Amino acid sequence: MHTVVMESLEEYLAGALEPAAQRTIEDHLSACRFCREEIRSMQDVSQLFLSLRTEEIVESSPGLYARVMQHVGRQKARPSFAGLFGLELAFGRRLAFSALLTLAILGGYLVSRETAYTGGPSPEAVMAQQESPAFDSAPAPDNMLVTLTAYEH
Amino acid sequence: MGTVTGALPVPAFGIRVAAKPRVDYQNTPEGALVQRAQSGDETAFREIVERYQSKVFSIIHGIVRQRNDVEDIAQQVFAKVYLSLKSFDFRSSLITWIYKITVNECFDYLRKRKVRRLVYESDLSEDEVRRVENSEPAVDRQTPVDSSLAQRDYILKLLTRVSEEERMLLMLKEVEGFSVEELAEKTGMNENTIKVKLFRARQKLVKAATRLERTPGLVTG
Repeated sequence: MHTVVMESLEEYLAGALEPAAQRTIEDHLSACRFCREEIRSMQDVSQLFLSLRTEEIVESSPGLYARVMQHVGRQKARPSFAGLFGLELAFGRRLAFSALLTLAILGGYLVSRETAYTGGPSPEAVMAQQESPAFDSAPAPDNMLVTLTAYEH
Repeated sequence: MGTVTGALPVPAFGIRVAAKPRVDYQNTPEGALVQRAQSGDETAFREIVERYQSKVFSIIHGIVRQRNDVEDIAQQVFAKVYLSLKSFDFRSSLITWIYKITVNECFDYLRKRKVRRLVYESDLSEDEVRRVENSEPAVDRQTPVDSSLAQRDYILKLLTRVSEEERMLLMLKEVEGFSVEELAEKTGMNENTIKVKLFRARQKLVKAATRLERTPGLVTG
C-alpha cells in the first residue's frame, strides 16, 4: 500500500477524513489498482467487526465482588509448582540462582582441567610417529589412524 | 506518489502527527484508587469491580453471546485483575488494561469450549455424533443462519490469528469506536506506533481471511 493511503488509513476506514484528504485518497485509489484492492479487503474485514458491537445492556448481577473474592480464594488455594515444595517465590529464585552458579563454577573447573590434560601424545608426536612408523607389520596410514583414535580417547 | 509498503522497513506514518504528551495515570484519581488497591485496600478493589463490572459484562457478551457464561468469565477477569494488579504499571489506563484481560479471557473461553466439544465428540460413535448434531439447539453447534452470527464467528476466527495486543487495538478501534488519538491516550503508545500496529494487524486479518476462503473447511471448523 502506498504511503499516501497508509498515513490516513484509519481515518479513511472510519469515514472521518476531511473532504480534501478524502479526495486525495480517492484520486490515488482510482489510479492505483494495488491500493484499491488492498483497501477493499480491509474494508470488508472492518465491516465484520460490526457483528461484535452490542446494543443490548447486560445487567451485572449484584454481589459480584463477593463472588470474585471467593474465586480468588479458590485460585490461591490451588497448589502451584513452587508451593509443591513449600518454597517462597523469592527463596525459590535464590535457590535457582545458586544452583546455576554452582553449575557454572563446576563447568568452568572441568573445562580448565580438560585443557590442562596432557595424558595423550601431542599432535606433533603423532606426526613424528608417522614419519618413522613403530609398527612395522601394519601399513603407515593404519598406524596413524590407530594412534589418532588413541589420542582422541 | 509515495512508496509501497513492501519497500519500507517501518511504514512512514505520522509525518503530520505531532507527538502528544503522555497522560500520567499515576497522578489521576483513578491512579490513586489503583495504588490503594495495590497496597491491599480491599474497599479500593471493590470500587474498581463496581466501577467497571457493567463494561466488562458488555464486552464479554459482545464476544461470546452466551448469557449463562458471562458472569463466570467476568469473575475470572476480576480475579485476574486482583491477582496481577501489583504488576499494573500505569503505562495505560486501568480500563484499557482490564479490556485486554477481558478480551483474552473471552478468547480463552472460546478456545476451551471448542476443545471440550472436540473431546466430547471424539468419545462418541459416528451415529451418536449425528444424533447429537440433529438434536442440539445450542448456538455454537448450529450452522449460523443469521448472517450477523456467521460474521461474528468469522471475525472471531480471524482474530485468533493476530497477537493479543493487535486484537485489543483492533477491538478498541473497531468495536468501541475509539480514534487513533484516543487509543494513544489510553494505551500510552504514540499515534504513529498505533497506526503501524493497526496497519499490520489489518494486513494479517486480510491474509488470514484469504487463507480461510481458500480452505473452506476451516471456516466452519
